[in-house]
Amino acid sequence: MNAAWIAKLKKDRFLYLLLLPGLLYFLVFKYAPMWGVLISFQNFQPFLGFWKSEWIGFTHFENFFAHPDFFRLLRNTLILGFYDLIFFFPAPIIIALLLNEIRLAYFKRWIQTLIYVPHFISMVIVASMTYVFLTTQDGLVNEIIFNLTGKKINFLADPSWFRPMIILQIMWKETGWGTIIFLAALASVDVEQYEAAIVDGASRFQRLIHITLPAISSVIVILLILRLGNFLDTGFEQIFLMTNSLNRTVADVFDTYVYFVGITQGAFSYSTAIGLFKSLVGIVLIYGSNWLAKRFGQEGIY
Amino acid sequence: MNKKTNKGKLKAGWLLVLAVAMLLTACSSNNGGNTQPSNSPTTNPPTENANANTDDVEVKEDPLKLDIMIAAFSTDLPDDNSPIIKALEEYTNTDVNVQFVPNSSYPDKVNITLVSGEIPHIMVVDRNSASFINAARAGAFWDVGPYLKDYPNLAQAHEVTLNNTSIDGKNYGIYRSRVLGRMGVTLNVDWMNNLGLSAPTTIDEFYNILKAFKEDDPDQNGKDDTYGIVVSKYSGPWDIMQVWFGAPNKWGEDENGQLLPTHMFPEYREALKFFRQLYEEGLVNEDFAVMDSAAWNDPFVNGKAGAFVDVADNARRLDNAMQEKAPRDTPYTDVFQAPVGPKGHRDMPTSGYNGMLAISKSSVKTEEELKRVLKFLDQLNDVEMKLLLERGVEGRHYEMVDGHIKSLINDDPALLKEIESLNQMLMYIGPEAPSIEQTPLNEKINAVQKANEEIVVGNPAEPLISEVYAQLGQQMDNIIADARIQYIVGQIDDAGLDAAIELWKKNGGDDYIAEINELYQQIK
Repeated sequence: MNAAWIAKLKKDRFLYLLLLPGLLYFLVFKYAPMWGVLISFQNFQPFLGFWKSEWIGFTHFENFFAHPDFFRLLRNTLILGFYDLIFFFPAPIIIALLLNEIRLAYFKRWIQTLIYVPHFISMVIVASMTYVFLTTQDGLVNEIIFNLTGKKINFLADPSWFRPMIILQIMWKETGWGTIIFLAALASVDVEQYEAAIVDGASRFQRLIHITLPAISSVIVILLILRLGNFLDTGFEQIFLMTNSLNRTVADVFDTYVYFVGITQGAFSYSTAIGLFKSLVGIVLIYGSNWLAKRFGQEGIY
Repeated sequence: MNKKTNKGKLKAGWLLVLAVAMLLTACSSNNGGNTQPSNSPTTNPPTENANANTDDVEVKEDPLKLDIMIAAFSTDLPDDNSPIIKALEEYTNTDVNVQFVPNSSYPDKVNITLVSGEIPHIMVVDRNSASFINAARAGAFWDVGPYLKDYPNLAQAHEVTLNNTSIDGKNYGIYRSRVLGRMGVTLNVDWMNNLGLSAPTTIDEFYNILKAFKEDDPDQNGKDDTYGIVVSKYSGPWDIMQVWFGAPNKWGEDENGQLLPTHMFPEYREALKFFRQLYEEGLVNEDFAVMDSAAWNDPFVNGKAGAFVDVADNARRLDNAMQEKAPRDTPYTDVFQAPVGPKGHRDMPTSGYNGMLAISKSSVKTEEELKRVLKFLDQLNDVEMKLLLERGVEGRHYEMVDGHIKSLINDDPALLKEIESLNQMLMYIGPEAPSIEQTPLNEKINAVQKANEEIVVGNPAEPLISEVYAQLGQQMDNIIADARIQYIVGQIDDAGLDAAIELWKKNGGDDYIAEINELYQQIK
């Protein structure tokens, strides 16, 4: 048995060699730093170091759940997460399906390339562009709105506009990039099935519903499960850049809160506890949704 | 439909798709808020004799290796080839490695550096930051207090400022001195002349000027395209103006001699009402709450706004920017003292210092080394070094005209790059360096700052260090700062402001007040 295993290893040695950098990456950058979460059970003091800092059990978690801000943070994070799931998640699928129906190959490629571009623009630039377009003082969009209606809409400062603005930014920036996976999945759909369906007299829309969608449904489910694992990750950069004094009540999320207490106030243990809580929720969501997916006869991620 | 034949092929397709998906999510999870402590470049311990040159070892010490961390205000920064750094190294016999950190993220970087344990020999720190206080108390920095008297320049450090910058009576750093009465009101001279306005002496006159700037077409282009004062996300102007109204500078005594924060005084409310009026009447830019402070100067420079409340020397910077667009002999700006308010003539001072230079114990291990580093810091206060780091190399970056400095940089990017941000390591203690050319505007700025010394209002709690504030300060400050802005734009009314103050009290404010008063009684 052992010999056979070694022989196998020898035979595929180059394949394993190829695997090595990836393995190392996860070991060094993902697994090795993980022991650091232990400081969430400590009263970590940088100058005492990890070994000398005092162990305090679940105090940080208790403080966090009892904190008056906890429910506001949870609410803001969950709402953004749901908005993201409802509005942003289907967007690349719809775009990919639309692109798939384009029959002029060069036109399709041209569009594809064009909608990838925003992905490569840094969030800082996106935030500045948003400011330039939407500000009430000589902002382009508001000038137009003002000339049409005689009123201005304070997109940047009005709390009720915060969430739509965040989701629209993500959609503008990431929808095109998100189509890549679905387009790859669509490319693997068997052409014969379409031909058979045409012979059977299926309309374009019927083909979409009965062939294309079932064919890519497992990719959709896989991505949905992975997305649920990151449900509480609202993205720090974007929220941080778009937050101001007037919309902070709806803009504070776990990610920015961790930054405020952890980095700016030096409460490392406390912020690690919050981060750990977020990860636990993520794990529960991944397992839960995977289990659900299997119950509904889909493949799941493992 | 027959799916079986292609099942194997399909499955392979899924695996590929899945692999791509994993890769993408792995990438994107790195984009999120994963702020890994980025290790500062590995610092070599000061190896006194590492490069011992046997020839002149008796004549001269080896250059001292020094890592210095300072804030940078540009992305084009001096490298080792900068003639200024070379001159600095030669004068002080050091091998300096300056670690520039963008100013906007400087406090974060300090916190992370403190945790990483790889602390540069010298770093600029904020004496009020919780993590610095904790680090200093844990013994991460040298108490330089007892040594200062041995150095000719450092011995001239001001007693009061030293006290204000101390922690538990110890000086864990040497402060960077700043003009005390630095603030001023900068106005657009052309607009004043066009409308026949004179210097504002009272808040009402100041208001009238803002109103005229908005309504009387000060740039005479026939369009309603100007407004009064420009403010950004940075809340400095509100802090300054509320002091004009009689609100204390951060802390003040009530009638019982108890210290209370400024937002609990009625004068604070009066000031906020005035700000709210400015906003309602369009005398301040509508988008101030969301405007990035990097763009703060632009509306003034571009002739949209005519007033600017900040440090008085900003009149020079604004004028420079306007001169660049259309050079002329007379300045575009004029600067004035704060207008007189209902409680008399008052203005906000600076703390008299801006951060301090702390010497780390992990990089500077022995007292011998400490003395060598202190000698370096002492030398930085020599006139030669002040000139070098502030103005550059004579003949290259400036020339002397009648004992004054005339800059030769003229916005040349190559010359700017050589000197950029290097003045951040200066303490401005001891002998004074020659001043810049005395243009009428510069003279006016100096006059305003000199006159300000009479009217600045001190903060009685300045030297006190609160544990509560160290832990919760950021959040507490946010509550009040947000409420103030919400009040100004009319999102909340007086009841809302009261509610915010109650929230502040509950979130540590009450403890903070109690603690500050206890400390205050001790030093009184």
